[in-house]
Amino acid sequence: MVKLGIMSFAHLHAYSYAHCVNLIPEAELTAIWDDDKERGKEASKQYQTNFVEDLDKFLSLPIDGVIITSENVNHKPMAIKSAEAGKWILCEKPLATTIEDAMLMINTCKKAGVGLGVAFPCRFLTPILKAKEYIRSGKLGTILSISCTNNGSYPGGWFGDVKLSGGGAVMDHTVHVADLLRWMLDKEFDSVYCELGNQMHKGILETDDMGCLQLEMEGGIQVSHIASWNRPKSFPTWGDVTMEFIGTKGVLYLDAFNQKLNIYSDFAMKTEWGFWGDNPDLGLIQDFVNSIQEKRDPMSKGIDGLRSVEVTVFAYESYKAGKKVKIKKSKC
Amino acid sequence: MNVGILGCGTMGRLHAEMAEKCGLKVVQCSDVNSQSGKDLAKNFKAKFVKNWEDVVANKEVDIVAIATPTPLHFPMLDMAIKKGKYIFCEKPLCRTVEECKKVIQKAEKAKIKLFVGHVVRYFHEFEAIHEQIKSGKIGEVGFIKMYRGGMPPQGKNSWFRDFSKSGGVTFDCMIHDIDWLRYIFGEVKTVYCQNLIEKNCAPLDYSQVTVRMKNGVLALVIGTWAHPSGFRVKVEVCGSDGLMYYDNMETPLEVQLREQSKVSGTIVPESPVIKSPYQKEWEDFISWIKDGKEPRVSMYDALKAVEIVSACLRSAKIKQPVNL
Ligand SMILES: NC(=O)c1ccc[n+]([C@@H]2O[C@H](COP(=O)([O-])OP(=O)(O)OC[C@H]3O[C@@H](n4cnc5c(N)ncnc54)[C@H](O)[C@@H]3O)[C@@H](O)[C@H]2O)c1
Repeated sequence: MVKLGIMSFAHLHAYSYAHCVNLIPEAELTAIWDDDKERGKEASKQYQTNFVEDLDKFLSLPIDGVIITSENVNHKPMAIKSAEAGKWILCEKPLATTIEDAMLMINTCKKAGVGLGVAFPCRFLTPILKAKEYIRSGKLGTILSISCTNNGSYPGGWFGDVKLSGGGAVMDHTVHVADLLRWMLDKEFDSVYCELGNQMHKGILETDDMGCLQLEMEGGIQVSHIASWNRPKSFPTWGDVTMEFIGTKGVLYLDAFNQKLNIYSDFAMKTEWGFWGDNPDLGLIQDFVNSIQEKRDPMSKGIDGLRSVEVTVFAYESYKAGKKVKIKKSKC
Repeated sequence: MNVGILGCGTMGRLHAEMAEKCGLKVVQCSDVNSQSGKDLAKNFKAKFVKNWEDVVANKEVDIVAIATPTPLHFPMLDMAIKKGKYIFCEKPLCRTVEECKKVIQKAEKAKIKLFVGHVVRYFHEFEAIHEQIKSGKIGEVGFIKMYRGGMPPQGKNSWFRDFSKSGGVTFDCMIHDIDWLRYIFGEVKTVYCQNLIEKNCAPLDYSQVTVRMKNGVLALVIGTWAHPSGFRVKVEVCGSDGLMYYDNMETPLEVQLREQSKVSGTIVPESPVIKSPYQKEWEDFISWIKDGKEPRVSMYDALKAVEIVSACLRSAKIKQPVNL
């Protein structure tokens, strides 16, 4: 039995991950720790597990791995403590809010001999796996251009507080697509130009809530990406991940969550989309469980987290500088 | 009033039809391809004239409609201004900013009424989007995504495929969206563009343009001549209190014919309206001539549009943003 703990329910994804752990026969949700006692207790009831208030006590439990779903800036201290306690780690994205933090996390895990993974569940979306297969098969020829979006609605709470989130929509919604493209094409990003703003929640938000990135990948592939919280409260769903690939032999359009029902309910008084596709989080958590059993890194490793953090950090740099900038890759 | 058509290709034929619908008479037409010219002449009971200069010089011609490849607009505009004609010119006004400026100077001096076919301003769906924005339905607009295009221009020898002539999808096609953005949101501050021109993929082109408006509104405009089939227009407008979305594939009609010789016919989506946007732009032009009512598009707008898309091409070349 693989014993898992969840650290903090600050990020909503924690609830889905907890649910997935309970679905996996060879895994057990042993305990929850949360600096918000109420929230942690509530969650422990919901998922029939223990709540441990003291962090050191939590880490001294016979837990094999932890899932870190805290506020972005708290990923680092929690990961470092967990690594030093010998735990395998699956960290919510973005891995960290700065390159230095990401490096420190990776190096600490290496030294401690524990696996470090980043929660990029999109790698487990069936339509994305299929798209990757098409691209790798060469059916589309050489890829020339790609247009992507990761739109969402404003998650609220600490996401709008730079001290906890490290940034706004660009911080939140760049890394998924950056990671997917690196993984699907096996190529790195070379440069980025970014424009951003916060007109979607003017006067409410200090962070950016709409970003438009133009990137170049190895081999001169031109990429545009919209990273935003531009979905209003009345929108039928949380957001999207879309990608259009232009190849010399063909094109591929992907709307990763477009497996849905259109629901018109008088109870909701707004149109809703009911998703019926495969649950990507289950694949993510299963891989984490397997990585512990096999004593390896999870599928999206620390370095993948770092590379996508670099894209984000240099996007903000570009906006500040008002020009396209090179994405420098740190060695680790 | 009598119309002379220069260039009897896709747009020339369309404009002849629109002019006639507006009660004008097409009297002459010209094309280097005499078959195209003669076909149009026959359909509209007009006279085919080999040299376009003869159409422009003809005293019976009141309105000159220019629908030739873009680099030919300049000499044709130049002569039509000299001859004191009313002019309908397809977008882009000219291939370069310098040419546009010269034309405008001359047209101003000669008090010529020069209309440029930025027809997207007249499309029903774009008018509807404009109305909804004005009504405040989605709050204050902050972000817009626009998408336009489909197959590369057809015909092996099409002038469109020579990007030095057409300017590729950015200059020829996205000028519509960029003009519309400026029409709705005001002047452009900065553009950043990536396209396939420098990569020698012709006839394929695919362009991504970030547009930052002076008022802070941000837009991403995508244009494609890289799809194997179809023609797509999508617009998404995001505001502080809502979002609206248009997709030209959502239509009231879908026709699919069972052709005996072929395995399957393609689905042709249609969205019919009583008055086409092309007719609306002609009516606007004519009411300017007849009643002096300023049209929705001025020649200065046309110049600005060329300035912005030229800045896009420069940005793609230097791989840095370009300020306007
Ligand atoms: N507003 C729109 O929606 C729209 C759509 C397509 C094209 N356009 C613009 O319209 C113009 C024409 O495009 P098109 O699609 O009709 O192209 P086209 O190739 O179908 O037609 C151009 C015609 O001009 C003729 N021509 C070439 N050189 C000539 C010359 N020296 N004298 C006379 N005729 C000559 C060609 O033989 C051809 O018949 C271009 O500026 C283009 O950018 C606008």
